[in-house]
Amino acid sequence: MSGVNDDADASLVERIRETPQPAMRWLAGALALFVLEAGAVVNAVTGLFGSPVDIPTLLSRDVIPNNGYQTPAGVWEETFLGLSAGQAWAFRVVLIYLYAFIVAWWVWRGYLVFRKHYRHADWTPRDDMVDRLRGHRWGQFGAIIVFMFVVMALFAPALGPTTVERTISDPYSYHVEYYEDGELQNTTVGQANLGSRSQGNPDRNVGPMQYDDFGRFHPFGTIPSGKDMFTFMAAGARVSLFIGLVSIGISGFIAAAFALLTAYYKGLVDLVVVITGDSIMSLPRLLFVMLLSVVLGGSWISSIYNGGFLLALIFAGTGWPFLWRSVRGPAFQVAEQEWIDAAKSFGQKPRVTMQKHMAPYILGYLLVYASMSLGGIIVAVAGLSFLGLGISPPTPEWGRAIDMGQAYVTTSSWHISFIPGVMIVLVVTAFNALGDGIRDAVDPQSEGGDTSTEATAGTGGGA
Amino acid sequence: MSRWRYFAKRVLLSIPVLVFGASITFLVIRAGPLDPVSAILGPQGDPQAYEAIERRLGLNQPLWQQYIDYMVRLFTFDLGQSWVVQPNTSVYELVLSYAPRTIWLGFWSVLIAIFIGIPLGFYAGLNPNTFSDYVASFGGIVWRAMPNFWLAVILMSVLSQSEKILFGFDWEAWLVPTIVTGPPPLPDPIWGLFTNPDQFLRALKKIAPAAIVLGSASMGNEMRIGRTAVLETINSNYIETAKAKGVPPRSLVWKHIFRNALIPLVPIITGEAFLLIGGSVLVETVFDISGIGFLFFQGITNGDMPLVGSLMFIFILLVVVINIVQDLLYTIIDPRVGYDGGN
Repeated sequence: MSGVNDDADASLVERIRETPQPAMRWLAGALALFVLEAGAVVNAVTGLFGSPVDIPTLLSRDVIPNNGYQTPAGVWEETFLGLSAGQAWAFRVVLIYLYAFIVAWWVWRGYLVFRKHYRHADWTPRDDMVDRLRGHRWGQFGAIIVFMFVVMALFAPALGPTTVERTISDPYSYHVEYYEDGELQNTTVGQANLGSRSQGNPDRNVGPMQYDDFGRFHPFGTIPSGKDMFTFMAAGARVSLFIGLVSIGISGFIAAAFALLTAYYKGLVDLVVVITGDSIMSLPRLLFVMLLSVVLGGSWISSIYNGGFLLALIFAGTGWPFLWRSVRGPAFQVAEQEWIDAAKSFGQKPRVTMQKHMAPYILGYLLVYASMSLGGIIVAVAGLSFLGLGISPPTPEWGRAIDMGQAYVTTSSWHISFIPGVMIVLVVTAFNALGDGIRDAVDPQSEGGDTSTEATAGTGGGA
Repeated sequence: MSRWRYFAKRVLLSIPVLVFGASITFLVIRAGPLDPVSAILGPQGDPQAYEAIERRLGLNQPLWQQYIDYMVRLFTFDLGQSWVVQPNTSVYELVLSYAPRTIWLGFWSVLIAIFIGIPLGFYAGLNPNTFSDYVASFGGIVWRAMPNFWLAVILMSVLSQSEKILFGFDWEAWLVPTIVTGPPPLPDPIWGLFTNPDQFLRALKKIAPAAIVLGSASMGNEMRIGRTAVLETINSNYIETAKAKGVPPRSLVWKHIFRNALIPLVPIITGEAFLLIGGSVLVETVFDISGIGFLFFQGITNGDMPLVGSLMFIFILLVVVINIVQDLLYTIIDPRVGYDGGN
């Protein structure tokens, strides 16, 4: 705090007006970063209201193309700078991750600028939490992997060596060029996919980091139908993350609302919610989710986002009692505090008391358990699609890749089942690690304390 | 509050949970958009047969009437019949023929998890911050995050081809010849297992891979929590005192640390029941064990709603009973646990 404006009630805008330079400098950087990707944002927003508008974007496949062909002389045509298809793809991936990490770093810088120049308080309890998280290597490991997973989901169309439309949903409408017998040939992607199938025998297998006969590069190899697996996985990451975030968002909101209400009013309200929650928890979760996804499978909700939205709702509806259980304790603790009594006798409205004086306290705990159960939801969604339930078939989902590769685990096409499994393990571990990190940051005394709730939150309901 | 009053209160509180759980199931099955009659008839059924079946099953009655009938039947343990999976077979009969395999699987998955997870966790806790601790801890964390079904797929494939991959070790021919998939060969009167060691071995070997997979998540949990429990106990004052008194290390570990560190593991072990009930569907599907989970999955995919409803009721009953047992165990092992509240 540079001490320019000591008026505690001054708004952020007023403070920025007082000393504009640091904020402007940060904003300029943020704007520059945004411009690089503005095209993607415009494309996504206009895509919601009709046909998307295409504006050149730095990190897109149009600017850095990797689909090309190799002439007999060994020269690559139509790829970025004449690099080989694999190199062009790798270049784009590295750029995208570089960009993402720079954005993350810039946001962090923004927080520091705010803390240094514009926040009235010199110190808040949250600073200590942030500092503890900064020293928490295990939590940081989780945060980085989670961040990479999120970037993979966000940038899925640009990350894959090809797109979902081109190779999975509509392969016979797109063409691929390649050289054979010294002549440039042209065939549909669907036809080419037939030639790049991975079906377990060494002659018919495109493994990780290999080219197929059509000069297409497959970082994770191909699935049994010959489609590119990295594209499949990136699109699947999007689906998993969507379901995870939506369901955790909804169930977190319900859990927080119920925790605050029951802690504030106690008595009958509490009893009713306890019984409702216990009843839902007494249903074996994975089985009940299966039942619901079959029963509701024919309804109109299941057509939204290929069944993803329905699954998110189901997981939210069956998952909130677990989250609620884990924040109920802290909510009751804070309800016992004197300041709540004070607020009550002060005549403050119940809603305001809950929002301003109780909610911030339980938010940290909610975040911990949300992070831990997110991994569980990802596993459970994969388990459902492994059984053929949930996400409707052509849409990529990690569990389905495991199912497709089942017969080839011990053959040369081992990658089909193996890679998705390893990625699930990595992502779930990362979410658990992030949860551990946040827990140690929010509540350093609790190390390994409330173990039983953690155990149920940390696993995927048995999937 | 005495232990018995506490027990009575727990049982009393579990009744609304049971009723509510069964009601939710009813709501999903009967009030949902699924039509059990067309599931029985198949896609081309004539309207007359449709109505006849509807009348026979009581589906033409108003929903509240159906609800009352349903609840009364469940709570008098009249579990009804299967409609589609095995028509006109009572659910009791089905459960009796499918359950032993699942119980056999669940028993060993709990046991294997306990006998591998807890010792590893305690070992890691007794030697904190050594290389082996890191290996064990990290292994536990990764093991816990592994999806059951993936592990099952990998293990199944590796074991069925083991002579090629595991340096000539042939799992299928080892000790007693078995193949990896398929239901365990349980003898008809079940006590044949205890009189005939060969049969016992055969059934155990058959179920072992599935049991390891099913117990994997709990094994990781038990390890982690065992480790923290030991660490916490070691650093507590009474261990300090015992050390100062000159208690020999061996009895320090076994009498003082080990017993107290077991306390936080109780809910984990009983909590495994939930994981087992859910996970059994996936594992039984992969290993082709026709157990309860597999039966449930068949019921769901074939639209056999009475079977699904009855099975769900059995599961809820199991969960509720296990919860009560867990709370009781807790009060017996650790008298400091308050009788009121618990949570």
